[in-house]
Amino acid sequence: MTAATLLTIAEYWLIIGAICAAVFLTFGIDRIDEDARGSYIFRPLLVPGVMLIWPLVLWRWQVLERERDNWKLRHLPERKAHTAIWSALCLVLPLIVLLGLAVRQTPPDGAPIKLEEAR
Amino acid sequence: MSENRTPFFVGYLSAPKGLRSFLLVSIVSMLLFFAGVGWLLATTQPDPGSAGFLPGRQTLIGVLENKPYPMLHVTEGSNRISTGTTVLLSGGGKRGVQSRGKDLEGAVVRISGQALARGDLQMIQLRGGMQGLADMSDTEAPGIDVEDLGKWRLQGEICDGKCLAGAMRPGTGLAHKACANLCLTGGVPPVFVSSQPVEGSEFLLVGNANGEPLTEQLLDYTALFVEAEGRIERRGSLLVFLMDPTTVRPLP
Repeated sequence: MTAATLLTIAEYWLIIGAICAAVFLTFGIDRIDEDARGSYIFRPLLVPGVMLIWPLVLWRWQVLERERDNWKLRHLPERKAHTAIWSALCLVLPLIVLLGLAVRQTPPDGAPIKLEEAR
Repeated sequence: MSENRTPFFVGYLSAPKGLRSFLLVSIVSMLLFFAGVGWLLATTQPDPGSAGFLPGRQTLIGVLENKPYPMLHVTEGSNRISTGTTVLLSGGGKRGVQSRGKDLEGAVVRISGQALARGDLQMIQLRGGMQGLADMSDTEAPGIDVEDLGKWRLQGEICDGKCLAGAMRPGTGLAHKACANLCLTGGVPPVFVSSQPVEGSEFLLVGNANGEPLTEQLLDYTALFVEAEGRIERRGSLLVFLMDPTTVRPLP
């Protein structure tokens, strides 16, 4: 996959994100967060974040809109995974550092070689 | 409601007895761990050397040469840069000075700015406007010695001359690649750092085989250890590596 393809994907992702941000911050946020009603200055600050994580915003929006949110259970999966994730990170992070040190180039010590004499 | 006896840490209260040993061991362990990691990472990095900005403003007079990148062959030096030296030129930040001296090729000019130096590599970061580069073309320009030193195969690293000379430290290595490419794109002269000195110098200004700038073809190879071939010329006190970009290859 070329860099141009990645940039095109990122471009479309951000365009969709901008549309989601416009709709959510204009209408949606008032419907799911009563504290946001009547407050407008902070909304432009949320635009970059919404553009990046718009799928999550849309998913949470529909969950809250349908009143299916259970805040007690909402963070349970992440909390249960904490031990496993931190244990894995303890192994993975040092491995990444060591791998980086292992695969880096060795400084050359080859002497300059004269291929042709001066003209 | 049953009373929960599990000790609970609150930052603004004294630590519960049941947690004190755990906290003490954790604090000491983390201090030792991070100190150890810091030491390990620091000791595996190469020495950045003693490059840097030289104190005081330098005013020099000399002959301007624009190709492959702007340099000054000094005819009247200062207390820190002696007559007969060839210095590279750059602008402020990540900019070159190609546009400022394009009509003064081979003319005598007076330059003023901040000097940077790493070993025998010297650069002047010019001040803005006429204060930085002034035309003195009414003065007769002396000839500049150009000596062909033959064709060579070198191993080393392609860097941007300004960071290498001390604008940034270390100014070399993979972590500096993005900065180096920005500097080169902005017109800062590229410099090849040879693994061993060539004819007495380990720093060589880079140009293409025709003596023209070579920035675009270098960007994929900066900050890597590479091998390259090309003719070498001594212009004034500076070596110029007229690199054939098709011969550049990264080393293992």
